[in-house]
Amino acid sequence: MTPPLDLSRRQFLTAASLTAGAALLAGCAPGTASGSPTQTLQFWHLLSGGDGVTMSQLLDGVNKAQSAYRIRPTVLAWGTPYYTKLAMAGAGGRAPDVAIMHATRVPGWAPGGLLDDWDLDRLAELGVDESTFPEPIWKKGIVGGKRFSIALDAHPFVLMYNTDICDAAGELDSDGQLKKTSSPEEFLDQLRAVGGSAKGHALSYGYLGDGAQMWRLFYGLYAQHGLAIELPAGRQMGIDKDAAVETLAFMKTLLDGEIAAAQNDYGTAVAEFATGKSGMLMTGVWELRTMQNAKLPFDATMIPTLYGTPAAYADSHSFVLPHQAHADEHRRDLTYRFVSDMLKGSFGWAEAGHIPAYLPVTESPDYAKLLPQAHYADAAQHVVYDPEAWFTGSGSNFQGEFGAAVQGVLLSGDDPGAAIDRFIRRVNTLLAQPNPADPEGKWK
Amino acid sequence: MSTATLSPTEAVVVPSGRSARSRRPRLPGQKPFAPLRVVAFVILALLAIGWLLPFLWAVATGFKTETDAASGDPSWIGASGPTLDAFGAILSQGNVYLWAWNSLLTSVAITVITVAISALAAYAFSRLDFRGRKWLFVAIIAAIVVPPQVLIIPLFYEMLAFNLVDTYWGLILPQVVAPAMVFILKKFFDAVPIELEDAARVDGASRLRVFWSIILPLSRPILASVAIFVFIGAWNNFLWPFLVINDTTLMTLPVGLQTVISAYGVQYAQVMAQAVLAALPLIVVFLVFQKQIVKGVATSGFGGQ
Amino acid sequence: MTTTASTRAVVTGRKSSDPFRPAGPRRREQLVSWAFLAPFLIAFALFLVWPILHGIYLSFTDQSLTGAGGDLVGFANYAEALSDPVMWQSLWNTVWFTLLSTVPLVALSLIMAALVDRGLPGQWLWRLSFFMPYLLASTVISQIWVWIFNPQIGAANNILKALGLQPLAWLQNPDTNMLSIVIATVWWTVGFNFLLYLAAMQNIPPQQYEAASLDGAGAWRQFWSITLPQLGPATVLILILQILASLKLFDQAYQMLGGVASDTTRSIVQYIFESGFVNYRFGYSAAISYVFFALIIIIGVAQALVTRRRKVQ
Repeated sequence: MTPPLDLSRRQFLTAASLTAGAALLAGCAPGTASGSPTQTLQFWHLLSGGDGVTMSQLLDGVNKAQSAYRIRPTVLAWGTPYYTKLAMAGAGGRAPDVAIMHATRVPGWAPGGLLDDWDLDRLAELGVDESTFPEPIWKKGIVGGKRFSIALDAHPFVLMYNTDICDAAGELDSDGQLKKTSSPEEFLDQLRAVGGSAKGHALSYGYLGDGAQMWRLFYGLYAQHGLAIELPAGRQMGIDKDAAVETLAFMKTLLDGEIAAAQNDYGTAVAEFATGKSGMLMTGVWELRTMQNAKLPFDATMIPTLYGTPAAYADSHSFVLPHQAHADEHRRDLTYRFVSDMLKGSFGWAEAGHIPAYLPVTESPDYAKLLPQAHYADAAQHVVYDPEAWFTGSGSNFQGEFGAAVQGVLLSGDDPGAAIDRFIRRVNTLLAQPNPADPEGKWK
Repeated sequence: MSTATLSPTEAVVVPSGRSARSRRPRLPGQKPFAPLRVVAFVILALLAIGWLLPFLWAVATGFKTETDAASGDPSWIGASGPTLDAFGAILSQGNVYLWAWNSLLTSVAITVITVAISALAAYAFSRLDFRGRKWLFVAIIAAIVVPPQVLIIPLFYEMLAFNLVDTYWGLILPQVVAPAMVFILKKFFDAVPIELEDAARVDGASRLRVFWSIILPLSRPILASVAIFVFIGAWNNFLWPFLVINDTTLMTLPVGLQTVISAYGVQYAQVMAQAVLAALPLIVVFLVFQKQIVKGVATSGFGGQ
Repeated sequence: MTTTASTRAVVTGRKSSDPFRPAGPRRREQLVSWAFLAPFLIAFALFLVWPILHGIYLSFTDQSLTGAGGDLVGFANYAEALSDPVMWQSLWNTVWFTLLSTVPLVALSLIMAALVDRGLPGQWLWRLSFFMPYLLASTVISQIWVWIFNPQIGAANNILKALGLQPLAWLQNPDTNMLSIVIATVWWTVGFNFLLYLAAMQNIPPQQYEAASLDGAGAWRQFWSITLPQLGPATVLILILQILASLKLFDQAYQMLGGVASDTTRSIVQYIFESGFVNYRFGYSAAISYVFFALIIIIGVAQALVTRRRKVQ
């Protein structure tokens, strides 16, 4: 009997090719229906957890209030992979209609053609222009003379304080707010007084293993000297070493185990304050909800101006227009509308602790009643962002590099001068590399 | 591109034909409570407790309130008592059940396809003769060294070109390449006595017939082990599913859960609850199939002689 | 288990018992072979070979993830990689991790298997305990161990304090962070080696133990003289796989140290990842990858030559 080899082989090959064919067919994505009355706009953002819930509520509100467009949000995990995905989606011609980016990441992207710039006239028609934003926030959105990002908020690094403990220590003024201090020594005295009335430490500051936390406090204090780090492409970092060393040394004095725990990480510090054990907490405004949920008697204010110039280290969640391979004018129009609607409705966003960037919201009487947000709203006028370079910004490695360089100072008392030198060296190496979005330097 | 951290190894030796017993019979003359046995038992128990503890800690933390979890209190139950808040928060956000379903669907598909094509290829390497066989095999083994991080970006552009981004197939197809599995299965097939096939082939059965009716049934244990390891790798894979899927309704469980955890604040109880939830399905699978897993690895014939 | 050589020759066309010596491939067998191989080979070519080739091409360009670049730059990326101190540091970190983790991963799994093989009651519990961590995803174990290593509230320091020792900043102190990753990795993956050793031990015929027992050898003696020597092949395999897996270190090291770029824990794969994913320099990232592969291949070939020479001798 002849073995039916041929038949089995043929069967086999047929099955294989059918499977392959089916695979390819199944992969064909259906095209989006055009000309339908309600356009669906794809919106990518990285706001998860508590922020995610608030953002969903805002989007629901925007969707319900009109019927010209419907927002379809995609939430992606915060951090490096979000930006990588956005970049690759853009490079592959599958970018969303609108996305959120941190304002500090935009300079690294704009030159690469991944983003389209905003048309100021169209924005002005919708009530969004220079007069409706605080100056530093409005300026941040400009890269290479064009506007690439429209800020939704500023989320600064602030000082939260337990009003009961600070009152018991006699550190509240007649308005019930924390007495202003204007030099490092005054602040340290204030902390010691507060420490006397607190069960735990005077101050909670979590920094362990967290380059972002270390950077936020450092750069805010550095900027209070009236200084800014400069990162000119292809050249050397511009930094005032003395001011930097002074700032680092001051940060170390806070971590003496008496004023603040010597080795707290982010979560432990937040917990220490939230459970009422410490008098003050240095953190971002995003922790507002945590404190409200813990029913803590607290208030918040800018980090005290210890070196002369008020400064609030912050970043902004901003709307950007990913470049579209086939731009649809109608969808673009609706995107502009969406952004303007979101800005006008950003009061809800304030309830998550962020300072809305849209002045008509923050200058409204309702906002003045929103406490403690109203007490730190002035931070928006003194916002200080990461120095501009392709490798800086939230979710980049820059803050991690800073942490690697200086953690030893805060943790083990290493020499701050050597740490700053290390940081400078590392940054200069990065400066020498071309912006990956523009490797041949065609931009600017 | 199987992402199992360690891949099962080759079968070195012919199966001895003896069924793998998980317990060696007590040898003649050995007392049940001999001092050495007791010592061994104590050491074993301590090791096992040490190994279980980290996971049990995570589970316990998942049942605490956030304040308790962050307070540093090492006790198993927090000061405010056990609560389902953390689990509830994770489960109520997003599409957790949908994500679990996506993970199940894609992991099963990956497992079935991987085992099928690997077994076919392994059979060819083991039994058949063809030009370039040796070099092809070497190339396949060399591919085991490649870390997935290096591949995924070109792979993503490839999926873009095929229009498979944001689809189940885009998720599944790159993960069916598992050179390590081909290697293992080949070694296993090598050890199967060839007379069994010879008899059938002399009677006129085709290769496929022999493969299907003789080799596969004999290989059930090793196929089961390979299947389970592939399943674990597919279920836990994060980077590729993260890259290729944007649609929230198509995400797998590890990817989806990452988007639920707060970006800024660290809520320990929720983080641990999420970790437990992500691991739960696999633990159930292991508990149900553990006999097969051990048997499979054992009868693939390591060591001895 | 013997085969008549003539029967084999008739059926398979193979004239010798060496499976790798071609014996004049018959056309039909060629076609059948390719049919069996086709599904795997197609997937292999499409999803492994092609990306590698594409990556090699890109390593000669300044391609960026943002779509910019793409011009050929010759060997510039490779020159930069070979002179990049971070690259060499990452390579060293990876080697150091491999050295630190391989010994406990092999020794501990051997001890565990030996203990379980004794047939003590509670088999399923031991198997579950040691193997269960292997089921967990890297994100899960990273979160668990970051939690354990928390200097303020983590269990590790609680234990140290209970013993009267100083608490450590496990993951933050450059002196201890690699060790912390090794500890977490050992916990995570030892179960796999354990299963392999257990299987190997269970394949040793009990008659050998019976005979030794009758001769008066105790349990310890039996382990040394009977069990251990026969674990040679299993040990070699476990070692090889362990080393290969350790060289690919990325997930847990990256996730446990997420907030601070650490020079002492950055593995080579992490550097490849950072260059490509974070700094968007895909061409450079690819160049580093292929430098890494080249090194592994050189070492692998060297090792193979050495063992072959030893075998010949």
